[in-house]
Amino acid sequence: MSIKDYRGDVEKCCRCSCCKFIPLQKVKGSKYSYACPSIAKYNFNAYSGGGRLLSMYSMLKGEMDYSEKLKEITYNCNMCGACGVSCNYAMDMQVNEPISEFRVESVKDGQTHPALEKVIEGLRKTNSMVPVKGKRGDWAAGLNLKNAAQEQVDVLFHVGCKTSFDPKMHKLAQATAKILQKAGVNFGIAGDVEVCCGGRAYQMGYEEDARSQAKKNMALIKKAGVKTVVTGCADGYQAFKVLYDKFGVKGDLEVLHISEYIDMLMKEGKLKLTQKVNMTVTYHDPCNLGRKGESYKHWKGVRKPGNRFMFDPPKDYRRGEHGVYQPPRDVLASIPGLTLSEMTRIKEYAWCCGSGGGVSESNPEFAMWTGKERIEEALSTGAEAIVTTCPWCEKNFKEAIMASGSKLKVYDIVELVEKAI
Amino acid sequence: MFQKDTLVKIVGEKNVTDESSTLDTYSKDLSFVNTLRPDFVIKPKNANEIAQLVKLANETKTPLVPVSSGAQHFRGDTVPGSGGAVVLDLSGMKKIMRTDRYHRVAMCEPGVTFEELIPAVEKEGIRLNLPLLPRKSKSVVGSLLEREPVTMPTYQWDISDPLACLGLIVGTGEEFRTGQAAGPGTIEEQWEAGAVQKAPYGPGSTCWHRLFQGAQGTMGIATWASIRCEILPTLEEPFLVGSPYVERLFELSHWLIRLRLVNECFILNNTNLAAIMAKNWPCDYQAIKHALPPWILFYNLAGYEYYPEERVSYRKKNIQSLTQKIAVESTKALAGISAGELLQKVHRPSEEPYWKLRYKGASHDIFFLSIADKLPGLLDAMNIEANKASYPASDIGVYIQPGVQGSSYHCEFNIFYDPQSPSEINQVSQLSTAATLSLMDKGAFFSRPYGKSTDAIMNRDAATVTALTKVKNIFDPNNILNPGKLCF
Amino acid sequence: MFLSPEVYKKFEDIVGEENICGDLAIMPSYHSGQIGAVVLPKDTEQVQAIVKLCNRLNIQFTVMSTGFIRAAMPQGCIYLDMRRMNKIIEINEKDMYAVVEPYVTSAELQAELMKRGLNCSIKGSGAQCTAIIRGHGHMDLSTGGDDRNQLGMEWVTPAGDVLKLGALGSTHEWFCGDGPGPSLRGVISGRGSGDALAEGGVITKAAMKLYHWPGPAAFELEGQSPNYNLKEIPPNFMVRYYSFPSVPQMYEAELKIGESEIMFALMGFNVAMLSANISPNMEMELEVIEKLNKEVQGPGFYVIVAANSPEEFEYDQKVLDKIISDTGGKSLAMVEDPKVGALVLIHGVRISVSIRETFRLRPVGGKAYGFQIMGQRDVNIKWIDEAANRKKELIKKGLGADDGGVYFGWSVENSHLGKTEIFFDPSPHPESLDAIIDWQQTTARKALEDHLNPPTHLPLSVVGPEVSNYHIWSKKLDEAFNPNGTTVVLPSLMG
Repeated sequence: MSIKDYRGDVEKCCRCSCCKFIPLQKVKGSKYSYACPSIAKYNFNAYSGGGRLLSMYSMLKGEMDYSEKLKEITYNCNMCGACGVSCNYAMDMQVNEPISEFRVESVKDGQTHPALEKVIEGLRKTNSMVPVKGKRGDWAAGLNLKNAAQEQVDVLFHVGCKTSFDPKMHKLAQATAKILQKAGVNFGIAGDVEVCCGGRAYQMGYEEDARSQAKKNMALIKKAGVKTVVTGCADGYQAFKVLYDKFGVKGDLEVLHISEYIDMLMKEGKLKLTQKVNMTVTYHDPCNLGRKGESYKHWKGVRKPGNRFMFDPPKDYRRGEHGVYQPPRDVLASIPGLTLSEMTRIKEYAWCCGSGGGVSESNPEFAMWTGKERIEEALSTGAEAIVTTCPWCEKNFKEAIMASGSKLKVYDIVELVEKAI
Repeated sequence: MFQKDTLVKIVGEKNVTDESSTLDTYSKDLSFVNTLRPDFVIKPKNANEIAQLVKLANETKTPLVPVSSGAQHFRGDTVPGSGGAVVLDLSGMKKIMRTDRYHRVAMCEPGVTFEELIPAVEKEGIRLNLPLLPRKSKSVVGSLLEREPVTMPTYQWDISDPLACLGLIVGTGEEFRTGQAAGPGTIEEQWEAGAVQKAPYGPGSTCWHRLFQGAQGTMGIATWASIRCEILPTLEEPFLVGSPYVERLFELSHWLIRLRLVNECFILNNTNLAAIMAKNWPCDYQAIKHALPPWILFYNLAGYEYYPEERVSYRKKNIQSLTQKIAVESTKALAGISAGELLQKVHRPSEEPYWKLRYKGASHDIFFLSIADKLPGLLDAMNIEANKASYPASDIGVYIQPGVQGSSYHCEFNIFYDPQSPSEINQVSQLSTAATLSLMDKGAFFSRPYGKSTDAIMNRDAATVTALTKVKNIFDPNNILNPGKLCF
Repeated sequence: MFLSPEVYKKFEDIVGEENICGDLAIMPSYHSGQIGAVVLPKDTEQVQAIVKLCNRLNIQFTVMSTGFIRAAMPQGCIYLDMRRMNKIIEINEKDMYAVVEPYVTSAELQAELMKRGLNCSIKGSGAQCTAIIRGHGHMDLSTGGDDRNQLGMEWVTPAGDVLKLGALGSTHEWFCGDGPGPSLRGVISGRGSGDALAEGGVITKAAMKLYHWPGPAAFELEGQSPNYNLKEIPPNFMVRYYSFPSVPQMYEAELKIGESEIMFALMGFNVAMLSANISPNMEMELEVIEKLNKEVQGPGFYVIVAANSPEEFEYDQKVLDKIISDTGGKSLAMVEDPKVGALVLIHGVRISVSIRETFRLRPVGGKAYGFQIMGQRDVNIKWIDEAANRKKELIKKGLGADDGGVYFGWSVENSHLGKTEIFFDPSPHPESLDAIIDWQQTTARKALEDHLNPPTHLPLSVVGPEVSNYHIWSKKLDEAFNPNGTTVVLPSLMG
């Protein structure tokens, strides 16, 4: 694909500004009505979803070329997908895909960001998106977990780079393992041979690297013979489920996020949450589990003749409708003593944590700003903790909380489930 | 200076007067502005004559003072503001050009009075949104141009309502029509095409009529106006609500208008209601006044074409729950005053003598716009000023008219005095000046400044004065239209 | 960059480094690469300083808040993007007005108002547009439209003076925008020229009239985008779509509904627009159009009854039934389904799918040929009905996209006024665009020749002389308030 393939989409933008706000039906007042962190922070229209499409349109018409400013705009996007959801509430056109493709094309054309280059260099060397300290499987020391590369398991628990290499996040993987053990799941990990999913590399525009990671992961899965992958990380979930499907390598692999899997185990009666966790929490939908976690929709066809932007066969747009929204909420609802107090922006129109799209590496200040906005929204619910289902969100929230001096606590859902079993 | 011969050529001999007795009547009114005798009084018969006169005035730099209503005048706007002026008395332009039930619109020349237009439109099955008991000789067009408050606030969507379009001769002598009437085509051609002069906005994206309303004839001379009308009800049921607490009546009027339950809706104090209702003076007046509660809200329910009884009935029920909540009571009569009788009066111009003149022969009106939260403070401020001036506060009539679908209130103090008494004139004049300043300080907005307080009012908003002057220079570059009025 | 570094620095000194950009990379997202710099003022003082500087340096400027549709810009102009002026300053419940800055959207304002039992007029361009834009919208029957909802306003004139209209100028109150003396609201246009625009200059704050809202404090919605819907239609609310055997019968019903004052909203959507309103995607939209076309007997409209009490609701329904029966109307079964009715309700109140209704089936964003005429509804229906017949002829010849030749419109202020619109999209036929432009010209000339309305699409020098020479008076106003010609009024922008 190239941005040329999205010409019809970008020229359809009527600059209505819907992409800047959460879907209009969901606006509940003058606060928390904005959807896109990029335009909210930088204000110039080029930073909005529509603005990005219009810039692309200008390039396609040969009226504009790459520039330093354009690069700055391109990389100051969390790739959270909120603009697309808001647009697609009313319009049939692709928004997130061309924005994503523009990143890919920028990288191909050498329009890269030095901070992201560094991350990708690291990935190429170490198979990790984060600096490698110790070994991937260190978190599992003493837990006596099966190695899926060596033993037959039903489920592969893909831990992900952040959880594996950030000692503060080890507890997430450990909690997950404990939960799966408690439910009697025959699961394993890939341990030191686990490699990065490539999802974040793709968000940064490095499609080839993402494809390379996809191949490695799928080879490992094939070798291990597992039919189901469970991820503890929303980015990983999106990569395995959506991106690998887009790349055509996913096959019939079942991909589940841990929150979905816990929900399933509970509903099957294999897991019971009995211990009280007396707490009021709010839940943050990670972009890659929510709106971007919706299944990839393969389409091959042609534009219909005539003046309408319609296709044969019809395109089934990914509007964020079928992301993973209810399972984490059902899990939280099952924890005795726990009360869920929702934020204004939730589910498909949730505000991003700030860490996506390579922003936490290329512009940590913007990532922090986005995170602080979310923390303020979380505090407005009266909750004492924000719960998420992705270590990247957790990391960004913790940093935002520290910077803003708030007392809000941050939990991954597995930490609360662990407390409740 | 105009030459009489030239004027006679334009309007005919009988329509030009320079008799001193006639000139004298146009040289003053019941306001406290200085007396100034015009040089001529001219009675043009049509727009063409007006255009010629305006062009002539431009050539000779002669001030023109347009007058539409018959005597008595109250606000000083029709008294020449500079020497050598010529009064254009339009009261003879009496054509009712259109009464149209289907489009709910009427159209008339400036000489048409409420007494004349009301029955004409009623015959068609429509009605005007009337000001409160205008005097019989009041020009409908004049009232619209003055942005006079109207008694049915739910039908006043915009402060410019019920004015629709205007036909004008502007200060350059050119014809200009506002809103839908502007064109294409003449008025007659528009009628032939099925078009009426109803939409107020435009032409283009400017809302021109707003620039001529409130201008006291300083921007252009209206040769006709079209008026948005409402359907004549088939059933009406009026009520009175008395209370010593005016705030409760504000609360009730807010909900009556907000929920669009009522047609006529306004608040009077006992002094004004007595002035309107008393038949035998002065005994009735005092008796009624003392029998009434201090404040009275009047409202009227109406039914139209479909199931009028049911419409009125459900509204009565809904209002009952409102009055219970606010702790007031709706009644058909209050201290011998019947709501029905008041309704009949409200549907017509005032009987002679004009209700504001009955008590003492003259009334000086102080009026402004404000909002619910500020009104009680402004009522207090007026009382304080009256006490300071040794004018009995209880003698001041108060009329409070919710406006523009409940977004503001017109508040009017009617200060009655004996026009033959120099001491009363002096007392009321001083009270008016002091009260206007005090009320302005407490947030009263004098949107329609008249008479001696005009400068004090306009001076508070220098930016508006500068902008208005720009507009004035466009429409009346030689300042021949009513010079000395507003900020011109 | 079109501005010299020295000039750029002067603007930067006003708004700060972060709030000005002259880089060509951001310009296509506005309108064109011609813009000198985009500036983001944060308050009236900054707006005034920018405008004064433009006047001093003789640089043209223009302004936009939420924005809609792209257009060409004069080279080197300053573009005020009002994004940072996004505060609701006051909601006065007792006097029913709200004071907002230009970047407050109708959705944000309405959401705050609903919590207080109030509502505002929302323009047809959608709730994502600024709340202070002029124009007309789906609830106009009960909320009015155009500039008639504006009260006090703060206006930075094209010359850089701050004018506080009405009560604001002398009392700091927002409830009235008229006087002392004549109302300067007359010279502020803002229509067809985008939100915060005056006849030049910038509206920096405005008070808007509010209305009672008898519904819930917020719509409790189920489902995910784009399939939000109400669990149930609130009490005392009802939604219907009626079709009629003929245009005159439809208008008769519309008029009677307005006159009887029973209706919260009436929108004369044709079948295609109704279908767009309720269909989450284009394929379904076309299917629904086909279904509805079989069911309707002719032109029609949807209505939303929103009564303040059960008694009022009962009365409103009874009157509605009588009017519909007298005028030969027929209710669409599909909209009687509460789930479909609920969709029309939420979309009709929040005006959240205007883009669907007008642009989803169009290939190029925001481009629309046709007419949007305000004013006297009956004569404009007649005129547009004729235009629609000419449109149908062209469709038959393949010279325009086949939408059945439809048009739409609605009544305003209890049917005292109205708005009527027709669109016509080109077909792939090589001569289609020329044919449509010719259709526009013919239709416009008919309006002029038949003395119906001052049409768009003809030069002002042709229309103006037929319409009280208003072009000359407008020019004089422009010269008076925009003496250096610094304000550029953007054409055809909304919100």
